[in-house]
Amino acid sequence: MHSRHKILIVDDDPDFSQAVASFLEASGYDVLQAADGTEGLKVAKAERPDLILMDIMMRERTEGFFTIQEMRRTPALKDVPIFVVSSLYAQIPGFRITPEASWLAHDAFFAKPVDLTQLLEKIRQRLAETARKEVAP
Amino acid sequence: MKVLRLPKERLDLFASVLQQFGEVHAPVEQNGKYAFRALSRWSDARLDYPRTILPPKKYFVPPKDTLFQYKEGLGYVPADLAADRRIILFGLHSCDIYGLNILDQVFSGKYDDPYYQARRKNVAIIGVDCIPDEHCFCHSMRADFVDKGFDLFFQDLGDRYLVMVGTALGDDMVLATGSLFEPVTPEDLAEYKQRSSAKRKAFKLHVEIRDLPEIFELEYDSSLWKQVGDRCLSCGACSMVCPTCYCFDVADDVDLGARSGSRSRTWDSCLFSTHAMVAGGENFREGRASRVKFRYYHKQRGFVAEYGRPSCVGCGRCISACPVNIDISQVISQLRGIENATA
Repeated sequence: MHSRHKILIVDDDPDFSQAVASFLEASGYDVLQAADGTEGLKVAKAERPDLILMDIMMRERTEGFFTIQEMRRTPALKDVPIFVVSSLYAQIPGFRITPEASWLAHDAFFAKPVDLTQLLEKIRQRLAETARKEVAP
Repeated sequence: MKVLRLPKERLDLFASVLQQFGEVHAPVEQNGKYAFRALSRWSDARLDYPRTILPPKKYFVPPKDTLFQYKEGLGYVPADLAADRRIILFGLHSCDIYGLNILDQVFSGKYDDPYYQARRKNVAIIGVDCIPDEHCFCHSMRADFVDKGFDLFFQDLGDRYLVMVGTALGDDMVLATGSLFEPVTPEDLAEYKQRSSAKRKAFKLHVEIRDLPEIFELEYDSSLWKQVGDRCLSCGACSMVCPTCYCFDVADDVDLGARSGSRSRTWDSCLFSTHAMVAGGENFREGRASRVKFRYYHKQRGFVAEYGRPSCVGCGRCISACPVNIDISQVISQLRGIENATA
């Protein structure tokens, strides 16, 4: 029996987190939630999600950056796809995570407010890509 | 040298981007003291700290360092030095950078220490300036300012930093952050000079070192060493916290069955009772007074003869750590015959 993919949402906004969780659960995913980077790292280590949606500006405005780097230093999490979902660009004009800048080991960036349909499509594509890599010899 | 400014409000963004160059370590507070640790979030960093308990040397010469292992059938197995692990030490004071420059001379002089070198090349250094407290005398030791040994150095100008770029890596760090850094203004330079002057006047502890090696020669048989030796506990705390103490002991740990084991080096101290003991049981510095004297002579006389400068950087950690309050500045003052000084 095919098990559902597990997605972890790390976001300090409970309304946003719950809204996205409900949408993803209705779309066939199991969803975990964490309210900050510390909890997110703890849940990720325990649950080994298939994909992580990471906010950046939580208790402090760069919390997500540090959490992502710590996840990448954790052997069990270093290859888990991470999508950044953040209002960073609106809050800090002039600061950009450009595609060519490799300093943040994330897989995609979505600016808030996020288009859930686009997010879902990107999640499906990324998880399918992961599945293909696991099957390929 | 390239000099830029960084508004303080952007420091957390810079630290975030910096992580592409390695794991960021900075001073964090623990139970009222400070220690260099890997950061989980930028707000844990305490750049206004007086000093850390242990100096940055722990990153390059760890308290216990496995050199190699040996196993039956495999033979010699080199230690995993985690050579691909890159670290950024953010927030070193000038005295600690000066101390690392001294360790570089020791561990890459006549004989290159491969263990030290493997770690050293993977660590980036970002310095920050500081305000001296009652134990600091780096100004006396000429260690309050460094012009090398760092990739970037941040001078606090209130609401912004004057940032000095020391190496190509430091330049890469700046370029990686896009538009966070700005050009320096004449007002920034004026503020820097003013604060630099104020810092020099803020030192409370002064140690005259100009003819100190000669004073040490003349006072070799001084009764002061017995006085200090009688107080000293030979605990070695001063050596452990010193940025430039580098003595180590080497020992083998052989597993039960004697089919495998490892060789390690651990921090040692010339104050330990067996430090000068040789095979056969002869101990060349059996008395505490002789061991205390040796440490002072090594730091302020012997190292000068070998490397041209004292190995003490005036960070004040030994003063802070000594359980019986032996104060190096007071010892030196007494040796000079300065009245009212008590070691």
